[in-house]
Amino acid sequence: MPSRRSTSNQVPTKDPKRSRLPTTSFLLEIGSEELPWQMIQPAMTQLAQLLEGFLANHRLSHDSLRTFGTPRRLAVLVQGLAAKQTPVLQETLGPSKSVAFDAQGHPTKAAEGFAKSQGVVVGTLETRETPKGVYLCAVKREKGLPSAQVLTEHLPGLLRQLTFSKTMRWNASGVRYPRPIRWLVAVVGSRALCFDFAGVRSGGHSWGHRFLSREKPGVASKGIRIRRPDMYEAALARGSVMVDPVRRREVIAGQLKQLARSVNGRVYQANHEELLDQAVFSLECPNVLSGTFDQTYLALPPEVLITSMKEHQGFFSVVNRKGELLHRFFAPTNMNVKNMELITKGNERVLAARLADARYFFDEDRKGKLADRVSQLHGVVFHKQLGSLYQKTERTISLAGALADAAGVPEVKESCQRAAFLSKADLVTGMVGEFPTLQGAMGEKYAAHDGESIEVCKAIGEYYQPRTPDDAVPETTVGRLLALADRLDTLAAFFYAGIVPSGSEDPFGLRRSAFGVIRIVIEAGLNINLGDIVKEAALLLDKQGVKAGGHAGSQTGGHTGPPLHQFLEERLRYYGRTVPGYREDVMESVLGRADGAECDLRDLFFRMDALQAITSQQDFESLIVGFKRAHRIVKKEAWTARTVEVALLTHPTERTLHQAVETAKRAVGQSLEAHDYHGALKHLIGLKSPIDQFFDGVLVNAPEPEVRANRLSLLRQVDDLFSAFGDLSQIQVQGQ
Amino acid sequence: MTACVPTLTLSGLVARFHYLGLFLPVRSNGYRSLAATIAVTVQNLILSLHQFWAHHNCIICQPYDLEKGAGTFNPATFLRALGPEPWRAAYVEPCRRPTDGRYGENPNRLQHYYQYQVVIKPCVDTIQSLYLESLSTLGIDLRKHDIQFIQDDWESPTLGAWGLGWEVRLDGMEITQFTYFQEAGGHTLDPVTVELTYGTERIAMYLQGVDNVYDLRWSEDVSYGDLFHDSEVQFSQYHFEVADIDMIRTMFASCEKECRTLLQQGLVLPAYDYCMKTSHLFNVLDARGALSVAERTGFIGRVRGLARGCADAYVERRKSLGFPLLAGSGAMPAASSKGKPKRLPS
Repeated sequence: MPSRRSTSNQVPTKDPKRSRLPTTSFLLEIGSEELPWQMIQPAMTQLAQLLEGFLANHRLSHDSLRTFGTPRRLAVLVQGLAAKQTPVLQETLGPSKSVAFDAQGHPTKAAEGFAKSQGVVVGTLETRETPKGVYLCAVKREKGLPSAQVLTEHLPGLLRQLTFSKTMRWNASGVRYPRPIRWLVAVVGSRALCFDFAGVRSGGHSWGHRFLSREKPGVASKGIRIRRPDMYEAALARGSVMVDPVRRREVIAGQLKQLARSVNGRVYQANHEELLDQAVFSLECPNVLSGTFDQTYLALPPEVLITSMKEHQGFFSVVNRKGELLHRFFAPTNMNVKNMELITKGNERVLAARLADARYFFDEDRKGKLADRVSQLHGVVFHKQLGSLYQKTERTISLAGALADAAGVPEVKESCQRAAFLSKADLVTGMVGEFPTLQGAMGEKYAAHDGESIEVCKAIGEYYQPRTPDDAVPETTVGRLLALADRLDTLAAFFYAGIVPSGSEDPFGLRRSAFGVIRIVIEAGLNINLGDIVKEAALLLDKQGVKAGGHAGSQTGGHTGPPLHQFLEERLRYYGRTVPGYREDVMESVLGRADGAECDLRDLFFRMDALQAITSQQDFESLIVGFKRAHRIVKKEAWTARTVEVALLTHPTERTLHQAVETAKRAVGQSLEAHDYHGALKHLIGLKSPIDQFFDGVLVNAPEPEVRANRLSLLRQVDDLFSAFGDLSQIQVQGQ
Repeated sequence: MTACVPTLTLSGLVARFHYLGLFLPVRSNGYRSLAATIAVTVQNLILSLHQFWAHHNCIICQPYDLEKGAGTFNPATFLRALGPEPWRAAYVEPCRRPTDGRYGENPNRLQHYYQYQVVIKPCVDTIQSLYLESLSTLGIDLRKHDIQFIQDDWESPTLGAWGLGWEVRLDGMEITQFTYFQEAGGHTLDPVTVELTYGTERIAMYLQGVDNVYDLRWSEDVSYGDLFHDSEVQFSQYHFEVADIDMIRTMFASCEKECRTLLQQGLVLPAYDYCMKTSHLFNVLDARGALSVAERTGFIGRVRGLARGCADAYVERRKSLGFPLLAGSGAMPAASSKGKPKRLPS
């Protein structure tokens, strides 16, 4: 067999009458037992993406695609779907004509073999001119298959591609899905498709609300018939199911608003969105009811009530106009019956039992002092390589003290250390055991009950802030310093043990911790050299006998990782990118040179801020062009550097530049000293004209070696002057 | 829903169970729910569940005679879930959770209570409907209540087991744990077992309309408190204040050793008894506050090690016996979720 390369090429046939091709519509519904609510929205997005890709791959054009989702179903509706695939013309190149035909013009074995492999007869082979010569070509016209046929054949494969964070098996099909799949609806036009997946046969019938739909599994019911895809939403609405989450959100939000108005209050906002999401994706027929609890429970801290309502029951809390909690809750239910009183009473009783439990914990916890619980932290593991929470507490106390000194507020040192001592004690209380999210908040309450100072209590209550990127940083100085001490110890400890985030893996939330450090330092305006604190933290770990690994252990032969100061600087870069929106080259100019000896994040931030501000000034770009030219020459040329000799400055532009540099050197130095980075850059801007004129007026590489060396030394001074601020050679200039 | 147990139709309930006007005044608007007017005694609730699941071809097992924290520990669940043999069983399981003791003072928490456990392998397609039907035979009108299946992924670190499912809530109250087991004793389960765990006291409190578990009617004349209050007081005191920590640590070690010895001798069922004992002894130590968090993790790991050993040995043992309950042997009835359930002779 002669060797040959064959290339395939699919060309959709052009059809100017595309818009007149018949279209249809398509509905797919995956009916299942109740899915976890968090999975539904992502699954809808995934289903849409998969189907978009699928339709494109199978040459099925469509106008629109819409997804639906409830706990018991994921669905997608495609409208304006081509009734048939776009036909294609497939051309496959074969052997060259000279090989394919002998001298008499008869086809050779090569031609016959190619025709056979393509499933065509030799007589139908065509030829194509290519840059390499004339080749044989098999042309196949593929007619478009009906979309219903394509979908029936390939939907099981499509469904198999859905992925979820946690899946299960339930029958012999071995299919994995978050909960068992119980029915499948697939309808194209007015025709139900029939395929098998996960032990279920697809068809044209769905099921409505478990209890409110007239159609129920069992005797003489096949479910709700979906006659046409576009009738899906309405058909399910008759089965008491609102398939569109947007609609459910509107209904729930509307009901909440109305209920709140009826009691002269408003829905507690802080956890409102989260609860709303949960309700929207937990219910098929949302109906919010309003209930009350015994007023005496209002004596409990509001955080406890709100958390109990939210985390145990998914209830919305209600506050009055002054923001005070009312003895009332709004419960999203999945039932809509005339008399909701029975359901309301049930929910009230459940909440009452929960609150009774909370009161029990609150009372029990306050029988002992928070300070007396600290020793129990010996028994709580912080991390198996990093000892107990008690050891962490010891380190945090030292760091909090060091931070108070470094921040120049020795007057709060004692409070910082006391707050650090108590900071983890609430983790061993009954209440935090029950509601882990109340850590900090309960510590504050219990510390206050024990008579600790307001400063200490407040710090314990707020040092976990910021919990999320939107959360505020702590308000008080002690709170801020404790927050830094806790996070820096965590960071230092994991880095010390060589447990550092890599890629998307960050199981201990170290990026979040570091981002918290950045935000507190910058937003609270703390000038602290964290370089010393980071060293101190490592020293404390060493003293406790924690085993070093990674970078810290590199001297003792461990593997290396990035040092902590670099990790912090990278988070600062992330902050600069996402919060003020600094240019990457601006941040690189400043951060590229940071060496960790002076890890003053706020100072680095100010440098970036000043540099970013000046980038919009008129002369900035040409200043950088001139500077970079000087920088390149200094880097490239070889000469013996020396101080500039005024006598050798022959050209006026040389003298002007020299004078300007001398003046600027003093001014820039003073500005940098005073951390006035805007000022420093302003002085540099002043060098623009002298530099430009210098390059216009003289040839640096003068024929006389003396003059050349003098000019290079002058440029070296310019380079040094700019470098005092940062690595400005990183700045990108338009058109360069 | 069709009530398949004649004695538990609505009229049957009214006729058989006494009114509890005593507990719940009739509301002023004249509306009275079934739950508010009729009490299902705890013992009748258990009998109804027995009837229901027996009709759906479950073996009605008896509680296992060792202390355990949950019905899942009963060999009728943990061991039977392993391997290829089908299994359908229902039983009441007394559960001991020493840390939940409240000296009989908390109306909602007990250190000893009764779970009602249903295990079906392989799980049947209609299991949710069957479960809901069982609720309606208890007198819960599904059209008047709000029943929700709330995600609850179950995991037992001591049994090396996990599964996905829900807690079933009735008007916000958790009444049942519903789990599709995926793994037990470190073994991937195929076929999958579904486990329903009813909180009998919770459901009875709801049906009787009482807010305090001790006010529950166990029978028509005897309350839950009459039967168990003193037990709660005594065991709370024992677990929290009295239990001899050293002795229990020694017992734990002895049981652990015995379990391992028995496993070596191929006596898996006695070995599993000792595994269960270690689990309970661990719970007592935990309640007694004798374990630090780090130590706790260590103990859990030791129990899990034994459970794994038992699981391995059990599967081997059943294999050597030729998996006697496998289909075709006729020993295990097929799923009966469709068609009319067989009646038990009454």
